[in-house]
Amino acid sequence: MATIDPGTVLRRRSDVRFRVVDDEAVVLRQSAAEVMVVNELGARILDLADGRRPLAEWIDALLADYDVERDALLADVLAFAGELAASGVLEPVPEPALDAVAGGKRSAP
Amino acid sequence: MSFGERFLRNPDLFPARPSGEAWGERDLELDLAGGPYLFSGLSPAQAEAVGERFGELCRPAAATPAVAARLFRMAAGDFLAFDVRGWEYSLDRDAAPGALRLAGLELAARLDWRPALGGALWTPDAGGERFGGIFENFCRVLVAYRLVEVGGVLLHSAGVVRHGAAFLFLGPSGAGKTTVSAASLAAGAEVLSDDVNALLPAPAGAGRPEVVKLPFTGDLGDRRGGRRAVPLGAVLWLEKADGDELSPLSRAAALGSLFACAPFVNSDPHRRDALLANLARLLAPAAGPAAFKLRFARRGSFWSILDEKWQQSTPALC
Repeated sequence: MATIDPGTVLRRRSDVRFRVVDDEAVVLRQSAAEVMVVNELGARILDLADGRRPLAEWIDALLADYDVERDALLADVLAFAGELAASGVLEPVPEPALDAVAGGKRSAP
Repeated sequence: MSFGERFLRNPDLFPARPSGEAWGERDLELDLAGGPYLFSGLSPAQAEAVGERFGELCRPAAATPAVAARLFRMAAGDFLAFDVRGWEYSLDRDAAPGALRLAGLELAARLDWRPALGGALWTPDAGGERFGGIFENFCRVLVAYRLVEVGGVLLHSAGVVRHGAAFLFLGPSGAGKTTVSAASLAAGAEVLSDDVNALLPAPAGAGRPEVVKLPFTGDLGDRRGGRRAVPLGAVLWLEKADGDELSPLSRAAALGSLFACAPFVNSDPHRRDALLANLARLLAPAAGPAAFKLRFARRGSFWSILDEKWQQSTPALC
């Protein structure tokens, strides 16, 4: 399992679908005959995991909605993103793919 | 192990299309949720076995069917023989965008979307003792997929009618669906099925979804009675405990519970998105039922808290 840090760029795996229901999200993985239900923060993370923005940029977006300290939010998001990656919902974007997305101009964080 | 190897001597020779030698010239219709379903090509003994198993739901073919399926001969030697004692039966399935292949005990079948859903069943059983079970196993899959097409879902559940509403008790195998069904019967409720039930949108397009009785039961429920549809009262996720306790489930958790209990389709990568969309509509705020986690004790006293909740919150519970 790759280490996830603020510079990691994550994306939803191609076989993952999710649907927001009220304040939660229902996550469907093609590999499993069951769904995962995640809370409001999990739903936001799924939305932010577009394979383009590093995780640190998620924090900027989330701080607009959550009245918490940046460090505490970062710790929660890192932990949550790690769980979602461990359960096969998110995956890190390989560097060559990032270069293609950024037109080869993206530098390492 | 690849598709069919558990049951078929030559899985590579699995029928590529719904054709073959019919068993006979008998047709019949089953009045099941999502139907009517027309079955053709049966032998007289097979038709009699289906009539015996499904009673009032079985009638001569008449109306334009919603789904048509045909029965064909297959040699007994094409199936592997093995000892099934102590073995939990499950069908081999292989899903593709336009078709689903099935293999089981003396059963090879396929569903095809061309574009309407149709079915084909190959079996070596001419209508003997095992034919009813073979036919029902095929029907369960056929109905599960048909219900998704009409906005519904087949649910592995116990369906119980009380207060004029249907309560769906859900949970994995061993969660207590039959226990709950037996306790419900003892409490004066009606059990639709302790195994699978159909959940369909409200007939008028608005209001509560309906639970429709199916003749697919475990130990409790009526196989042979006529069709019956009851407005859904509540969805209850079962958990065995030392005492009885009712706690609300969020809509997302309810959706997840229903999805996990939707056999066959929930593991079909080509049709599970449609299933998820159906469930979201069935649980939409305007029509959605109340959903709870029910922790219950085996002594069967849980109906007292459900009755109390019903009386307190009707119509909010509906």
